[in-house]
Amino acid sequence: MQILAYIGRRLIFVGPQLIGILLVSFLLLKLIPGDPAVMMLGPFATDDGLARLRAELGLDRSVIEQFGIYLWRVVHGDLGSSWQTTMPVTSDLAQRFPATLELVTISLLLALCIGLPLGVAGARNKTGILRKIADYYGLVAGALPDFWFALVLIFVLYTILGIAPAPLGRIDFTVIPPPDVTGSLLIDSLIAGNWDALKNAAGHLILPVLTLGLINAAPILKMTQSTMERMLEADFSRYAEMCGLPPKIVARKALRNSLPSVITIVSVLYGFLIGGAVLVEIVFSWGGAGQYAVQGVLNADLNPVMGFVLYSAILSLVIYLLVDLIYFAIDPRTR
Amino acid sequence: MSAAPTNNPIDIFNAPILDCENVTVAFPQYGTAASVALRDVSLTLRTGEVLGLVGESGSGKTMLARAIMRLIPPPGEITRGSIRFGGKDLAELDQESLRKIRGRDVAMIISNPRGELDPLQTVGQQIANVLRHHLNLDRKATRERALDLLKQVSIPDPQRRLDAYPHELSGGMAQRVVIAIALACSPRFIISDDATSGLDVTVQAQVLELIRKLVSERGTSMMFITRDIGITAHYCDRIAIIYAGEIMEIADREVFFDDPQHPYTVLLLAAFAQNERLRRYWLGEDKVRESSGPSATGCSFQHRCVRFQERCRSEHPALVERQPGHLVRCHYPVERP
Amino acid sequence: MSLLEIQDLVQHFPIAGSKSVVRAVNEVSFSLEKGETLALVGESGSGKTTIGRCVLGLIRPTGGRISFRGIDLGGSKTVRSLELRGKLQLVFQEPTESLNPRQRVFEQIDEPLRALKVPRPDREKKVREAARRVGLAEALLDRYPAEISMGLQQRVGIARAMISDPEVVVLDEPTSALDPTARAEIIDLLIRIQRDLGTSYLFISHDLSAVRQISHRIAVLYLGKIVEQGPSATLFAQPSHPYSVALLSSVLLPNPRIRSGRAIRLSGEIPSPINLPPACYLAGRCPLVIDPCREKMPPVETVSANHAVRCYRHGEVAKLVPDFDSFGRFQSEADRILGAGVPAQ
Repeated sequence: MQILAYIGRRLIFVGPQLIGILLVSFLLLKLIPGDPAVMMLGPFATDDGLARLRAELGLDRSVIEQFGIYLWRVVHGDLGSSWQTTMPVTSDLAQRFPATLELVTISLLLALCIGLPLGVAGARNKTGILRKIADYYGLVAGALPDFWFALVLIFVLYTILGIAPAPLGRIDFTVIPPPDVTGSLLIDSLIAGNWDALKNAAGHLILPVLTLGLINAAPILKMTQSTMERMLEADFSRYAEMCGLPPKIVARKALRNSLPSVITIVSVLYGFLIGGAVLVEIVFSWGGAGQYAVQGVLNADLNPVMGFVLYSAILSLVIYLLVDLIYFAIDPRTR
Repeated sequence: MSAAPTNNPIDIFNAPILDCENVTVAFPQYGTAASVALRDVSLTLRTGEVLGLVGESGSGKTMLARAIMRLIPPPGEITRGSIRFGGKDLAELDQESLRKIRGRDVAMIISNPRGELDPLQTVGQQIANVLRHHLNLDRKATRERALDLLKQVSIPDPQRRLDAYPHELSGGMAQRVVIAIALACSPRFIISDDATSGLDVTVQAQVLELIRKLVSERGTSMMFITRDIGITAHYCDRIAIIYAGEIMEIADREVFFDDPQHPYTVLLLAAFAQNERLRRYWLGEDKVRESSGPSATGCSFQHRCVRFQERCRSEHPALVERQPGHLVRCHYPVERP
Repeated sequence: MSLLEIQDLVQHFPIAGSKSVVRAVNEVSFSLEKGETLALVGESGSGKTTIGRCVLGLIRPTGGRISFRGIDLGGSKTVRSLELRGKLQLVFQEPTESLNPRQRVFEQIDEPLRALKVPRPDREKKVREAARRVGLAEALLDRYPAEISMGLQQRVGIARAMISDPEVVVLDEPTSALDPTARAEIIDLLIRIQRDLGTSYLFISHDLSAVRQISHRIAVLYLGKIVEQGPSATLFAQPSHPYSVALLSSVLLPNPRIRSGRAIRLSGEIPSPINLPPACYLAGRCPLVIDPCREKMPPVETVSANHAVRCYRHGEVAKLVPDFDSFGRFQSEADRILGAGVPAQ
């Protein structure tokens, strides 16, 4: 009951938060020089034509007015269209957002699978070989740029060894993709029972997921290790040792107490990677949301950028709500 | 309040339950000589006895508890001496065997219980951890025993408290839970480390009464570590004073408080006195404070001692038995007619 | 006119997101004379620290009047003049936390003078004088707090409080973080300073041995209410409130023959100060409770000169604990034990 009340209270603020985020991004985008009308009509446009197009797009009005109109449309489910793709932003994002989500989610799962156990092992034995590995891993992964690492992986696994598929999108052109249900190729193939598509899509995920997963395991590893170390030295761990509880149980207690920090860093990474994975998306021609937004910014194509901002803001809010609910479940003190 | 109950067969021989001999704990330091946290500590605890161990912070009193538990924080280690308990030398045992003893034969009551209990587990789960690990009880028996333990430490509404989390307990209540965990496996020896220092005084009185009642009912031996010498006068059978990692004075309670002989012991008692002249004398008049320590060779209390003489600087005093059972480490102990 | 006068002080803290309030201080009145020490004694939740903060103007009281030399001090410190702030000073409980770890001892002691805009040459002289007064060696003035012991740190705290020649010093549990010997040294130091300078102390503590040594008068607080107030000797010898009796009997003096009476034992623990009943706050724990205790807050009754108590049954309490003075009995024993080896005066 308390949880429901809490969710209710959080949801009240969602609307104003979203409007705030949209307003700030709108104003910032307007600060970037670049005239969509010039971009759309090209170098040989007449002044007359430009003026007409500007009026059509509402660009002759004040910024606040423009924002009001945009907001009005958004509330009615219309995010406008992109002049580059000539498609409505909603249908563009319906394709691209799931692509990014699928990539980021699986990458973070991989990162968690590497970072968490290695961090725990490193914290439990500060002189062991795993600790050394963890330290070096953190150092190297923290220093590597992800797009460069992606290129190395492509060079080794595709160009030389030929075991990975070509870095050209999410699925081969020769494979018929499953009908669109969730937007995630893996899930959709499963639903359709299309095993060829599943295998092929999974194959395409390997390299980008390896890139993002291996790189982002580093912050998770660091956070797990330092928190876990602190918890293992905390009074309750010392007390558990005094009670003769075996190291396994002491470590389990410490891990449970470390989880909130780990969850926090994962949620931060999640929110960040929605846009931050863009370089890797470009390297793999992923056609993800970040790539879409960057194209928008570069070509003064406002609607895709605003749509992207809106989607990621909603996603972030959902993630933070989830995180709070997980805290709720783990820690009785927050109840 | 008497020293040892006699219905226990072991008592016929008045066998010591714990016998520490020359226990020395050192922390190796890079480049210089190791810093010594405990120096040749020899202590014997008789079965059913409550020994008060009094010292200020940094005196090594907690280190002794940790040495007995063999949980000295690294890089510290026992460099010398033996800790005989139940026919074994704890100083020699491996961690696996020690884990079978900790919490089961030797239990610990700690201070700041709300920080020492796992914040994410209910009281019942934390008691159950210990019961299941040491006694292999099944789920139902565990819960029954946990409930019984909470009743024994007089926690109101024990059924409900089993499912409470530590943050939902008051300080006194959490302290009682820690006592319940200590009693869980009916240990033969309990170490209480500053167990009541964080409690309000009226609650402290309740908890002290409870601890004393529980250990004397069971004939459990206890080492009661505290920095408050006043507590030991009322809840301990014998008192030992520890200073800078050394036992300075040890005696049975009546003798100890009637005829304290080490200047440091008298200083501790003087802190309670109303008589300003005597208090000032033992506190060392109105000397200007400087942070200078004792010389390496002499008595470790020399720089704070009002009875200091040249010999105290050059010669380390030994722990001498001045009367039967009354040991003092001082060249110039206080003498009373 | 008293030096410091507190009248019907009330301090309630609202709880965020709730209609309830924490009733930290409930109509507390007392006064402090020049050169006198009044001890505010109580356990956690008794409001003793909050009262100290109100006196210093660190928080604005919900109600009541605080006057110093007849001047109403009003709400928070912002309305007080610099000079007035120098006249009321504070010594904290945790010396380690109250000192800035990155400042040398000299600068710490100097701080109030800088705030009071005293010219530099005067400051230097005053700091050295204050250090000498609290027994700090000159060499220690260049050290950082972490390099000196806790007892010495607390001396720095006292020097800092004394440097502006205050008339009232609030001592908020100045000894509770210290080891027993350091505690005794600090108490002696405070007594000496008072004797030399005539400073008045508001001594906030739950350490009754220290209270016995330093204070002239005592006010016993329970849940933000003064339940008993009187001269120190009287209160220790003949307490008249069940809570005072329980508090005093929980003191463990280092002599096995002197056990405080166990005539009155309180059950349970201190309830939360959130929703207090309009009755005696101790009613739920008191063994002497009668019906009126649960219905109405007992009025303040005078037992003897300057000795007042808030209990319907204070007459019975006194009868229950005749010859209560364990401190007094401890004294003669202690003189014998401590007297050995001490040169005669």
